[in-house]
Amino acid sequence: MSKKVAFWIFLVGTVSSAILFLGLTWDTHRQIEALSHVDKLSNNVVEGKRTFEKYNCNDCHTILGFGAYYAPDLTKVVQRIGADGIRFRIKDPEKALASSWRKMPNLKVSDAETDNLIAFFTWVGNIENGDWPPQDSKKRLSRSEERMVAGVGVSPGAAVFQSRGCMNCHALHGTGGTFGPALDAIGRKLSLEQIEHYIKNPKAVNPKAMMPPQTALSEKEIEEVAGFLANLK
Amino acid sequence: MEYRSQKIAYWYFAIALLLFTLQVVLGLWLVYNYTFTVPQWIVDNFSFATARAMHTNLLVLWMLLGFMGGTYYIVPEETKSEIYSSKLAWFQLIVLVATGVVALVGFIFGWTQGRPLLEIPTSLDLIVVVGALAFLFNVGMTMYVAKQWTVIQGTLLGGLLFLALLYLFGIPFYKNEVIDWYYWWWVIHLWVEGAWELVTAAIFAFVLMKLTGVDRQVVEKWLYVEIGLFLFTGIVGTGHHYYWIGAPKYWLWFGGIFSALEPLPILLMLIDTMNHVKKRETKIVNPLTWTIAIGCAVMHMIGAGIWGFMHTLPQINYYTHGSQVTVSHGHLAFFGAYALLNIMVFYYAMPKIKGIEIYDASRGKVAFWTMSSAMMLMGLSFGIAGVVQSYIERVLGMGYMAAQSYMRLWMEVTFVIGFFFLAGVVIMVWDLLTLRPAKKAAA
Ligand code: HEC
Ligand code: HEC
Ligand code: HEM
Ligand code: HEM
Ligand SMILES: [Fe+2]
Repeated sequence: MSKKVAFWIFLVGTVSSAILFLGLTWDTHRQIEALSHVDKLSNNVVEGKRTFEKYNCNDCHTILGFGAYYAPDLTKVVQRIGADGIRFRIKDPEKALASSWRKMPNLKVSDAETDNLIAFFTWVGNIENGDWPPQDSKKRLSRSEERMVAGVGVSPGAAVFQSRGCMNCHALHGTGGTFGPALDAIGRKLSLEQIEHYIKNPKAVNPKAMMPPQTALSEKEIEEVAGFLANLK
Repeated sequence: MEYRSQKIAYWYFAIALLLFTLQVVLGLWLVYNYTFTVPQWIVDNFSFATARAMHTNLLVLWMLLGFMGGTYYIVPEETKSEIYSSKLAWFQLIVLVATGVVALVGFIFGWTQGRPLLEIPTSLDLIVVVGALAFLFNVGMTMYVAKQWTVIQGTLLGGLLFLALLYLFGIPFYKNEVIDWYYWWWVIHLWVEGAWELVTAAIFAFVLMKLTGVDRQVVEKWLYVEIGLFLFTGIVGTGHHYYWIGAPKYWLWFGGIFSALEPLPILLMLIDTMNHVKKRETKIVNPLTWTIAIGCAVMHMIGAGIWGFMHTLPQINYYTHGSQVTVSHGHLAFFGAYALLNIMVFYYAMPKIKGIEIYDASRGKVAFWTMSSAMMLMGLSFGIAGVVQSYIERVLGMGYMAAQSYMRLWMEVTFVIGFFFLAGVVIMVWDLLTLRPAKKAAA
């Protein structure tokens, strides 16, 4: 092979790849509109993105899998812990992560900024990104999670557990908060009645209890969630 | 050293070495955060996020200073002329280092653009652009005035221009997170798997040619083939970062196939190096410089070629994306390809600038082997942590913190190995800043 041939290899290789790449870039721009739901990209979402950058959250957390790997991925965080869960952790990380061995700073994010962050995470969570990350994929749940989700279908108790703030402090199958104990097998320890009792007034059972009484729940919700938990064995 | 103005390179190298040391100290602090519980008040004041921004920006800064110093050393010999303006070279060094220091201190006080690896705030970005333009102008004018064109020079200048151009895509604020990441990779990927590879290939070809005395025509012919393959696979290969960001599905095919070919030019570079070394025309003067050159070619292949290939196919990347597997690859690749390249240039050029023909390599040898073996082991322990994480968090779906507790042991191992790496770095910096001629061998 002569130097001339080598030069042509260089030129043709580079130019062909560049043209293909720019063409695909053009098409990608066209398709991203729909894939990322640009119609829902409101001002709050954009402000949320600015807030996310202002506090450098991305140098601890990944989003869409990019950034630092020191803290949970935030792509589907709304689906995972809900808006209240996010608020609790951002506002009071000292409390929310008191029993975790890894800490998040209290960045003194304002309430308005937090609302924008939640709008941003909600929007990101709906991007059609090939069902990543796998741990939050509804299609690829592990067997233990399948049982839990199957439970949600039949038992309204699981829905209460997920939507009424219990997961801010308690985890099931590794998902949720760490302030309180994981409740994966709580049914082995406590009966339905004991759980009901605990939820209504933790201090009555355990004078040193740090769990606040769950006064926001109706009697019926307490019954449902206790029923769900009592069955986790 | 043949030209007076080459001397400026020394200061680029010396500053790069100090920044490198600081980078590694911060690296140790980062793994400390992974292995121990840092009290809330420290986390509130100097968080992992701040330290990481410093670790990675120091990395980029010292490597770019190394490349620039290398360029200022090489261009006079290629063009057979002095640098167009030594004053401008000084000015540009001061501007870039000052900007870097302001940026690093700014991070501590929360002044940041908040995007990983591109944390430098926009106003400072503009100063960086001024510094880069001064550099490109200076190098370009040197070549223009001398009217001496070689392929090595052209590749070097082309790579540097491409590098500077890509930086611009990282500056604006993008409203859409998907588009943001799309262009973020134009900077990061097209740098390390495009522009930087060009710069590296050119510098490597130069040093190899000088060390082995192999004919320029042969070296330059292979240089064309290498950079052609780098760009052919690397440009469309950017798609291996577009699998899960909300870009069209066809990127799984384009990204997967093109990036799977990316190891080829790296392999070619390795074979090419081995061939030149075998067919050398001159005798070995400084064996350590050789050892580092070969070490660079080998570690480049391991870190970028093999480690990169292992997680580049979508079927695997789905589980490893954004885990410690990525960190393992990032460290091995950056170290193998770019840290060792710079170190090779330091050991090639710094003795010559000081007028030492044969340098005493005893400390340098210890430093090279300590750093290289520690980094290889660190790559392995990060890698094991990453596989554990991918399995527990992503395959079993057990949640992020659950996986972190299982991999903690491997982060502890990394922490310990990190001290050995730091020791290697310190020995090297000390050695390079106090180089001595080798004692005359008997007779
Ligand atoms: C110094 C690193 C750091 C920074 C900076 C940081 N976080 Fe965190 N964050 C953490 C850690 C560590 C956890 C998880 C600890 C645990 O679960 O035990 C966490 C947890 C969270 C969670 C809960 C995730 C889940 O799935 O349980 C949310 C939401 C969150 N952070 C949002 C933010 C936002 C928003 C910002 C920026 C304003 C931010 N974080 C900045 C370290 C950080
Ligand atoms: C603010 C945090 C917090 C919230 C919200 C919370 N818990 Fe708790 N929970 C705790 C803590 C902490 C404990 C451990 C014992 C203690 O200190 O009270 C606990 C203990 C428990 C226990 C007893 C566990 C044992 O092993 O004895 C049950 C059952 C329980 N919580 C259920 C719930 C349910 C159901 C909800 C939602 C309606 C909920 N918790 C909401 C913090 C919380
Ligand atoms: C003692 C030595 C070192 C230690 C302990 C160390 C540790 C770390 C840690 C813990 C991170 C954070 C990863 C995360 O976000 O979770 C990191 C990031 C990084 N480090 Fe180091 N580091 C060291 C030296 C180096 C060296 C020598 C290089 C380059 C040659 C380097 C390049 C990088 C890069 C590129 C990143 C970003 C990685 C990514 O985004 O995937 N580090 N380092
Ligand atoms: C010297 C060359 C290279 C360097 C310095 C390098 C460095 C890096 C770094 C630092 C990252 C992490 C970026 C981040 O998310 O923060 C990364 C990601 C990646 N690299 Fe490389 N790389 C090189 C070559 C390659 C090659 C040749 C391949 C493929 C064959 C490759 C495949 C990948 C893949 C697939 C990822 C994404 C990982 C993920 O999904 O999280 N790299 N690289
Ligand atoms: Fe890449």
